[in-house]
Amino acid sequence: MFRAILYSQWKWSRLIVLLGSIAGFALPIISLQGAARADRNPLQTQELLRAVQSWGTLYPILATTLGLLVAIATWAPDHRGRHIHALSLPLPRWRYVLLRFAGGVTLLAGPIVAVLMGAVLATALATIPPGLQGYPLALALRFALAVLVAYAVFFAVSAGTTRTAGIILGVIATVIVVQIVAGVANIELDLWGKLAIVILNWPGPLAVFTGRWMLVDV
Amino acid sequence: MCNTRAPLLLLLLAPALSAQDSALAKLQRRADSLAREWRQATAIADLADSLEHERAVTGRDTIAVGALRIVVNPSPLPLRESAARAWPVIDSFYGTAAQDLAQRPYIIRAFDPDTTVPRSRLHVGMEVPWNVNEEWLVLLLIANVPVVPPDSAMQSWLGGSVRPSIREEQDRAAVYVQLVTAPSQAARSCFQGSLESCATALGLGKSTTLEAWYPSAAERRSLVMTSFTDYFDHGATVGAFRACAAGSDSACTGLLQALPKGSLPRPLGADARATLVYLALHLGGREAYHRLLAGRDAPVGARLACGAGVGEDSLLARWRAQVIASRPRAVALPPWAFLFALGWVVVFAGCGLRSSRWRLG
Repeated sequence: MFRAILYSQWKWSRLIVLLGSIAGFALPIISLQGAARADRNPLQTQELLRAVQSWGTLYPILATTLGLLVAIATWAPDHRGRHIHALSLPLPRWRYVLLRFAGGVTLLAGPIVAVLMGAVLATALATIPPGLQGYPLALALRFALAVLVAYAVFFAVSAGTTRTAGIILGVIATVIVVQIVAGVANIELDLWGKLAIVILNWPGPLAVFTGRWMLVDV
Repeated sequence: MCNTRAPLLLLLLAPALSAQDSALAKLQRRADSLAREWRQATAIADLADSLEHERAVTGRDTIAVGALRIVVNPSPLPLRESAARAWPVIDSFYGTAAQDLAQRPYIIRAFDPDTTVPRSRLHVGMEVPWNVNEEWLVLLLIANVPVVPPDSAMQSWLGGSVRPSIREEQDRAAVYVQLVTAPSQAARSCFQGSLESCATALGLGKSTTLEAWYPSAAERRSLVMTSFTDYFDHGATVGAFRACAAGSDSACTGLLQALPKGSLPRPLGADARATLVYLALHLGGREAYHRLLAGRDAPVGARLACGAGVGEDSLLARWRAQVIASRPRAVALPPWAFLFALGWVVVFAGCGLRSSRWRLG
């Protein structure tokens, strides 16, 4: 059953997975292109780190995009068919959802491996100045976690009904409105800031996306 | 013939020499007059300082913790508690020199931050809002220790007074980053083990010229391009700046030599030099600060070595080892982060599982 579901998901999301894998493989190599150049000034270490850091912002974006698109592709055909196919299968619903989730995770392994290979290749080819080190494994591991978290979040949202999506959007809108009203009323209430701290700092759900994504660092 | 011409020449030059002599005398008188004015102004300034000092300390309380003395007006500031926390740091840093602080009090005026009532201006000591917390006060006391400042040579090398740091480990980690990233071959060689390069990078070498600090054309170009872009990329220097950017070493050297005296950055920053001073004081024991201030005519490196009670090379070797050992942790996820991230994956997957779409009864 898993193979059948995986195959169907592969058909729906193969373009996303292929493009994501190409981008994931290319990103580490492009980010270290300056270090690999033969005419690079060995004294421009700061510039190298700055370039690596700038390119590093694309890893969480790629992870989020992949998670979002694969999650949408996972559920889109079911939504279109009003879930009749899923309901007609001789499977408990929870098992069907788990198989769908596992199928998505399996497909996302492609871009993750691509990032790992690209990062290993980039650090092997580049002339890294003394004192700096490459962290291909740590970067790929972090990318894997970010992709999985993003996929899980969007999978949950996508699996929900319009009503669920409405509730989530409603909660976000309420927070924004409360924050604006508090600002207008000159009340010291930093709801948005506190929420951001809770979500973006460990052990918050999106903490894995924050911080510096450095392929090469001290 | 020559003999007859010489007296004639002297006769002709005599009025000119006499006029020059009188001009010299006039300048001498003006210099003396200026010196008198300067002495009078200094005396008046000292008197004003003394009166201001009296005004600042009259009617105030004195808090004594160890050798620390804090003259302060009555306020809710937790100064005694802060001083009790700051004193061990100050005492261990300055050693016996910290005892001199009994004669050099902090003067603090606490003020109400919520009032708009104007207060008289205080020219001596520090003004502190009385709602600050203990942590902040401890930092304030440590950062403004009224200890005898070092001589100008030491201050000029260090870029200020010798102050304790409460984050030495982070300071050394920052120096590690400088060693690795500074656009200087001296810094790079120091990182790789050359103590002579460490001395050069810290500004302790015999020569402190542009060529000593930045010997290669690539370093000089990198320095102009990274540190002085805004300074040189306009006005009269824009042509030379562009030539430097295009690869002309003579243009880069010319620009750097045109910098005002003392503004050429040393390969390593002031915090790197401060960490060397911390180490020297740490190694030298409780008399180290006194020894550091002594021997004003000696080179800074020798004074630091004397303060530390070890040879200069040994001091530099220990400093380098300490900095290398303080290598900052690369940005990576802590081990428990994996568990949390996977935990969130499970939570969100569970949310998908519990979706109302599937609860059909």
